[in-house]
Amino acid sequence: MPFRKLNNVQLDILKEVSNIGMGHAATALSQLIGQPVMLRIPHVTITEISQVPDHLGGPEKLMVGITLRILGDARGSIMLLFPQESAHRLLCCLLGKQEKGLVMNELTVSALKEVGNILASAYLSALGSLLNKTLIPSVPMLAYDMAGAVVDYVLIELSENSDLALMVETDFIGEASPDFAVKGHFFLLPDPATLDIFLNVVGEES
Amino acid sequence: MSERVSIAQARIERAPMLLKAYGLGSCLAVGLYDPQSGLGGLGHMLLPKRPKHNPIGTDGKYVDAGIYQMVDVLVQEGADRESLIAKIAGGANMFESVHQTLIDSIGARNSKSARETLAALGIPLVGEDVGGNRGRTVEFDLATGIMMVYCARDDCNLSI
Repeated sequence: MPFRKLNNVQLDILKEVSNIGMGHAATALSQLIGQPVMLRIPHVTITEISQVPDHLGGPEKLMVGITLRILGDARGSIMLLFPQESAHRLLCCLLGKQEKGLVMNELTVSALKEVGNILASAYLSALGSLLNKTLIPSVPMLAYDMAGAVVDYVLIELSENSDLALMVETDFIGEASPDFAVKGHFFLLPDPATLDIFLNVVGEES
Repeated sequence: MSERVSIAQARIERAPMLLKAYGLGSCLAVGLYDPQSGLGGLGHMLLPKRPKHNPIGTDGKYVDAGIYQMVDVLVQEGADRESLIAKIAGGANMFESVHQTLIDSIGARNSKSARETLAALGIPLVGEDVGGNRGRTVEFDLATGIMMVYCARDDCNLSI
């Protein structure tokens, strides 16, 4: 279904579905880093593909992006974005003392990918049991660069079928101390055809 | 004066003007320039080729259609078709593990499509910085025809 035609009820359903998935993912992250993780209320944005980098804090902001394809009964992408300093803090939690700035090496890349894997798996398994669908995450991929460059891979895939992107975004914050918080953005970018699957299952015909 | 060229957009302007495309990953920035008239354009393109049936979105989204469109507009505005030159940047493969296959990555296909389209039009490609796994920001100066390429991660800046 075209993203533009979604009504408010359908948008609410998407928010709630994502909220449930994200709840599980936050629990997983909390266990991983040993601190409570707070979730913001998810928001659903339907936006021109060209505007997506601006929604992420500007196309030139340095970000660690971990992306996975959703495979199985529904298709889409998951993109997990950590601002540079949050990725660094996350690594401090996971690997102990780190160098001053964010350094990308085999160990740190692997650790961050694993975080992506755990979050996406928790999210998709909750989503899958809610929708009674099999949703499998692909192997995670990581890039550390400008936000625009990190997301355009996902946008290109999306743009073959649509000029709009539907982003279900949830921000999460680790609550160790305010100035040591791990912040991240979690995006679900369903392919247009997949949206029907989500909505049909919850009884909202498109 | 400077103007931003966002994703799937192609802009034609006249000197003095700085056209900027921020945060290119697999996307490709194509700059066309006529040194005689100071007319030039910059496109920020996503996909290599416009499908023949039911293309979605503007021409500026596709490398081939975007270049044709930019050339048309440049000529309409009074640029000399024969003195046009081209420069390209971008077309990276940000997620290196993705395409260890025989099929080229989307970034590489974008660069390839640009080369083919420019060759078909007989426009010389005088500079390029493509491929790798770096994000790039591009500034195309219509006063000089110089394209500056900035990378965020390793501070490598170059002009082509």
